[in-house]
Amino acid sequence: MAVSLPEVALVGAPDVSGIISTPFDRRQRRRENLELYLPLTGLVLMALACFVGPLVFPLAGPSSGSIVYANLPPFSPGHILGTDPLGNDLLSRVLYGGRISFEVGLGAQGIGLFLGSFLGMLAGLKGGIVDTVIMRIMDMLLAFPGLIIAITITTYLGPSETHVIWAISFFTVPGMARLTRAHTLRFRDREFVVSAYLCGRSDRQILLRHLVPNVIPNVLTFVSLGIGIAIVVEAGLSFLGFGVPPPAPSWGNMIATGQSYIAVEPYLVLVPGGFLFFTVMCLNLFADAVRARISGV
Amino acid sequence: MKNVGLTIVRSEILRVVLRRLIQSIPVLLGVSFIVFLVLNILPGGTAVALLGVNATPKLVHALDVRLGLDHPFFDRYFHWLWQALHGNLGDSLENNLPVARTLGERLQPSLEIGLAAFFEALIFAIPTAIAVARRPHGVLDRVNVAVSMFGFSCPTFLLGLLGIIVFSVNLHWLPATGFVPISAGLGPNIKSIVLPSATVAFGLFCGYTRILRADLVDQMRGEDYIMTARAKGLSQWRILIRHAFRNALFNMITVVVLNIGTLVGGQVLVEQIFAIPGMGLLLISSINNRDIVTVQAEVTLIACAIVAANLLADVLYMVLDPRIRHGRIAS
Repeated sequence: MAVSLPEVALVGAPDVSGIISTPFDRRQRRRENLELYLPLTGLVLMALACFVGPLVFPLAGPSSGSIVYANLPPFSPGHILGTDPLGNDLLSRVLYGGRISFEVGLGAQGIGLFLGSFLGMLAGLKGGIVDTVIMRIMDMLLAFPGLIIAITITTYLGPSETHVIWAISFFTVPGMARLTRAHTLRFRDREFVVSAYLCGRSDRQILLRHLVPNVIPNVLTFVSLGIGIAIVVEAGLSFLGFGVPPPAPSWGNMIATGQSYIAVEPYLVLVPGGFLFFTVMCLNLFADAVRARISGV
Repeated sequence: MKNVGLTIVRSEILRVVLRRLIQSIPVLLGVSFIVFLVLNILPGGTAVALLGVNATPKLVHALDVRLGLDHPFFDRYFHWLWQALHGNLGDSLENNLPVARTLGERLQPSLEIGLAAFFEALIFAIPTAIAVARRPHGVLDRVNVAVSMFGFSCPTFLLGLLGIIVFSVNLHWLPATGFVPISAGLGPNIKSIVLPSATVAFGLFCGYTRILRADLVDQMRGEDYIMTARAKGLSQWRILIRHAFRNALFNMITVVVLNIGTLVGGQVLVEQIFAIPGMGLLLISSINNRDIVTVQAEVTLIACAIVAANLLADVLYMVLDPRIRHGRIAS
C-alpha cells in the first residue's frame, strides 16, 4: 500500500508537484469549478429574473388579472405559465414572489450575520460573565422550535414582509452567535491577537481588525445554507397564512392557493414549487462547493 | 466482581440523570416564563381578538375581568405556575374545555405519525448508510448524494403536495387528506398515515444517511481497531457492521434524539397539508384565536419534551460508550 517508491525515484529530481498539472488535476479542477459556478449562475439568473425581469419584459402586474382569464393552462397565448384562479399571470406572480423570497432570505440572514456574529465574537472574546449571559439567552432562543416562534411573532405583529424577516432572525441570530463564538475561541489565544493586546489595542479594534477577517470567511458557507433555510421558512409561513398577506404574491402563499386546486390544476403548485426548489437547491450546492474549496477536501 | 461493576454503572447513570434533572428545572422555568411574557406583552390582546369587530373598550374590560386578565402580570404567572405544578393547565379561552384533555386528544395523531416517520427513516437510513460507506464516492454514494440534495432542497410541504399529486390524485392509492383514528380500524388508520409519515420520514432519512455515512467513513479510514480487524482477515461488511457501526452511531443518536423532542410538537406544515388534527394544527388555531392558555400549555409541554430528549441522549451515550460510563471522559 504505502510503498515509498515515488520518493526513491524522485531523489535529486526537482519537486515539480504543484507547478506542472497532470491531466487528472486539470479535469478535477474543471469539475470543481463547474460545481461552484453552475449553482452560482443559477442563483444569479434567478435573482436577475425576479428583480430585473419584470422591468425589462412587459409583464402583467402580479395581481392585476381579470377573472375572465382564470385558470388558463401553461403555454396559453400571453400567459406562458398560465393563470391562477383569479386570472393573474402566473409567471408574473412567480417572479414578484421570488423578490420576497430573496429579500427575506438575505434580510434575515444579514441580520443574523451582523447581530449574531457581533454577539458571538463579543462572547468569545470577553469570556466570563458576558459570555455566560449572552450564550444562555441564545440557548433559550434555540430551545424553542423555530417555526413556532416565527408564527407567534408574525401573528401578534401582524403579517408583513418586515415582520417575517424579524421573526426568522429570531433563530438565525442565535445560530450564528454560537458558530462565531466557537471560531473566535480558536483565534482568541493566537499570537497575533495576544500581540495586538500587548500593543495596547482596545477590544473594539481587536474585534474589527483581527477577529472579523479571520472568523467571517469561516461562517460564509453557513450563511449560504442559512439563506436557503430562511427562504424555506418564509415559504412555510406564507403557506400557513402567517407570512406575506395576499394579494401580494409569495411562493408560499401561491402554493397554498394551488393546494385547493391540486386535483385539477397541479401546475398551480408545481410552478412556484419548482422555482422554490431550484433556488434552494442552488444555494445548497453553492454552499457545498464553497465548503469543499475551503476545507480542501 | 460483576455485581460491584453493575452498581457502579447504575449509580453513575443515576447520578447523571439526577444532575441533569436538577439542571433542567431552571431551564423549564425560564422557558415557561418567557412564553408567558411574550404571550402577554405582544400587542393584540386576547379580549380584543375574542370579541372581534364588536369590541368596545367597556366590553374588552369586562372580558378581561372575567378571564382574570386584569390582575398584575407576576400574580398571573405565579398563579398559572402553581396550578400547572398541580396538573391543572387551565381551561381554554376558546371553548372552556380543560386544556389537558384537548392536549391528550391532539397528541395521539401527532405521536403516531411522528413515531411511524422515525421508524421508516431509521429502517431505510441505516442499511443505506452502511451500503454507501462501503465504497465512498462510488456509484451508490453519488446516487445517495443526489437523493439527499433533493431532500434537503425540497421543503416538507412541497414534498407532501407532490406525494398527494402522485399517489392520491393520479394513482388513487392513498387518501389525500384526513386522519382515521385507530379505533375506527387498523387498515384505514394505517392508510391515512402512510403519506404524512413518509413525507416527514424522507427528510429525516436524507439527514440520517449523510450523518451516519460520514462517521462510518471516518471510522473506516483512521482507526486502529479497523486495521486490526482487517489484519485478522475479516470481510469489509463484517467490519462495517460489527465494528465501525457502533462507534459511528454517536452523531446520529444526537440528531435522532433531538428530533424526538419535536415529535410532541407535531409537524405543523404536514398536519396542515394532510388535515390531521394534531398538536401542530392545535397550536396554529390557538395562536390565531389568541387562546393564550392553550398556547402556554402546549409550548411548555414541547419544551419539557425537548429537555427530556436531551436527557435521553446523555443516558444513551453512557450506555454506548464505556469510557463516558466510567467517567473517564467528561460527559
